[in-house]
Amino acid sequence: MLLIGQALISGILLGGLYAILTIGLSLTWGMLKVINLAHFAFAFLAAYMTYQISTSFGLDPFLTLIITAPIFFLIGVGLQWFFNRFDVSEFNSLLVSFGLFIILQALMTALWTADYRRIESEINPYAVESFWIGPFAFPIPQFGSFIAALIIAGLTIYVLNNTYAGKALRAISQDRDIAAAFGVNYKKISMLLMGVSTAYAAVAGVFIAMIFALFPEAGVEWIGVIFAVVILGGLANVPGALAAGLLIGIVQAVTSVIAEPGMAPLVTFSLLIIALLFKPEGLFTRRSTI
Amino acid sequence: MKKWYGSLGFLGVGLVLASVPWLKSVFGFPTFYLIFLYFVFFWVAQASSWNMLSGYSGYFSFGTGAFFGIGVYTTAMVVDKFHLNFMIALPVGGILAALLGLGIGFVVFRLRLLKGELFALLTLAVDFVLAAVVRNNDFIDGGFGVRLGAVKGPAFLGDFSTMMYILGLIIALLTVYVSYSIYHARFGLGLFAIRDDEEVAEGLGVPTFRYKMLIFAISCFFIGLSGALQAVQIGYITVEGIFSLRLPLFVILMSILGGRQHWLGSVLGAVIIFTLTDTFSKASIEYLNQVIIGSLLIVMILFLREGIYERLKNRLWFSLAILIIALVVQIVAGFGERFISQMAYAMLVTIAFLLLSDKIYGKLVKSFSFFLPKKQMGASNV
Repeated sequence: MLLIGQALISGILLGGLYAILTIGLSLTWGMLKVINLAHFAFAFLAAYMTYQISTSFGLDPFLTLIITAPIFFLIGVGLQWFFNRFDVSEFNSLLVSFGLFIILQALMTALWTADYRRIESEINPYAVESFWIGPFAFPIPQFGSFIAALIIAGLTIYVLNNTYAGKALRAISQDRDIAAAFGVNYKKISMLLMGVSTAYAAVAGVFIAMIFALFPEAGVEWIGVIFAVVILGGLANVPGALAAGLLIGIVQAVTSVIAEPGMAPLVTFSLLIIALLFKPEGLFTRRSTI
Repeated sequence: MKKWYGSLGFLGVGLVLASVPWLKSVFGFPTFYLIFLYFVFFWVAQASSWNMLSGYSGYFSFGTGAFFGIGVYTTAMVVDKFHLNFMIALPVGGILAALLGLGIGFVVFRLRLLKGELFALLTLAVDFVLAAVVRNNDFIDGGFGVRLGAVKGPAFLGDFSTMMYILGLIIALLTVYVSYSIYHARFGLGLFAIRDDEEVAEGLGVPTFRYKMLIFAISCFFIGLSGALQAVQIGYITVEGIFSLRLPLFVILMSILGGRQHWLGSVLGAVIIFTLTDTFSKASIEYLNQVIIGSLLIVMILFLREGIYERLKNRLWFSLAILIIALVVQIVAGFGERFISQMAYAMLVTIAFLLLSDKIYGKLVKSFSFFLPKKQMGASNV
């Protein structure tokens, strides 16, 4: 019982990290019709940069965000400019960003080699620390990623519902042409969204660097899981992405405890296939009445 | 009439290629070339079978790894667990892969929504699920990999590399021939109609569900068949190696580079991409290889979506001339040692030429018009 309780907690905490990655991916797919596979490469590039900055300058890993987040915001803006410039269709964006993913992976291999990298524990004291509630442990980095997911989700929902940019984005995702007719500047607003989404990847990268050992191929392992979360949550559905992230996190952690870790992907993707067959618009999306 | 010529052409190409091992014993060039050509055949078979489904009908599959894996592990089972000759595994692997394809298709093709990206992601998920199943099943793999010992084939096929060469050639020829036949048949036209607009095709009387099921099964059969042979070549089979994203990525890239609309496109793409990767991964800079592959994918999608086949058709003599000149210059200048690498660089030059827009090409042709045949000049005015 204790074991399952602990599995539930680590599942929820890991789900937070899934949610951070998913929210960015889901927003750009749902609203801009860009399926950005390079998102994973950005997250791992950010993780490597976190590793490098904190190792070279002894900076606290959390503080590296001050440097990485703006850089990745600009990268995202540039990427969307590129997609707009060449008018890349939804399906082709998948292929183009796949190409970008491979190039970035090669870049990471060239710069940091294929060896495992981990931030030294003197610089990253959080890695081994946990706080305890009763018999249950809450590791600091995982807990931090969960809190960050809540903040990001809350902030994104607030911006989408209450600001001009948010309204413009929702208008674009409903009908791009009509939105343009009402004076929404698609180019500007899409670059803003892609920038923010890529900055989210940088946030995820910080936590990835703190929690896991890094190697260039690692991004591939995340593609399957995160896409499962994106589909389950529903496109451009932020609360859905958060809920689906937590769901998959819990499912994986509990499967690992009850059965064995190798079974976790089997359960995850079976869930995805069932969801695709019966509710392809996402578990947490209401069926549209159109 | 046309079909008759085509079949004869296939027979001719097959006979010429089948004589290569014999030529080898006469002229004594290194065995390395046989192995290289085997891999070319493997990629031609894989890319062509992917293209039959995804190029013709427009249903983009990312799940090649799953069907390939079935073929590979069929051989692994047959040889390692049942101690039978691997030749049995070839058809069995193909049939098992086709059955999985039929099973998936039966469920997926009923749902209209599962097109485009969702179909692609679903097939990718099938790949991951199968990998997890194989990794956890101790009878099949159990996560430790399967090592095939010395594999014996029929004696009349000669030594190992000759045997692999001949079998690879047969499978590749068969796959391309089927792809070619479908392209020219009513079935192929139906598939193109599905790609262009499925609703309209259905309305005009194309039996879309049956066609999609059939092409999915055929495509999976050849992926599995070719995979079952590849297992013998790999020798040491691991889940990570077999179900990786490398295979789907490569077949997609090959077909996009060559052209998805025509049966010859994926063949061209497979030959070019494999020659390139063979060269750049040998140059001991694996990441440069990745950069080139990734950049090619992006450039092709952005600037030449229909693939090089369409351009090559109009610029055949010019591009052949460029290929040969680039090759000769390298050989004369003594640049590089391996013929295959020189070929790879010449191919890159030719692709760069094919990427030139029609306008620039027209100007080029005009300035060279004094030694080109008249017909070629006419083509440039289009």
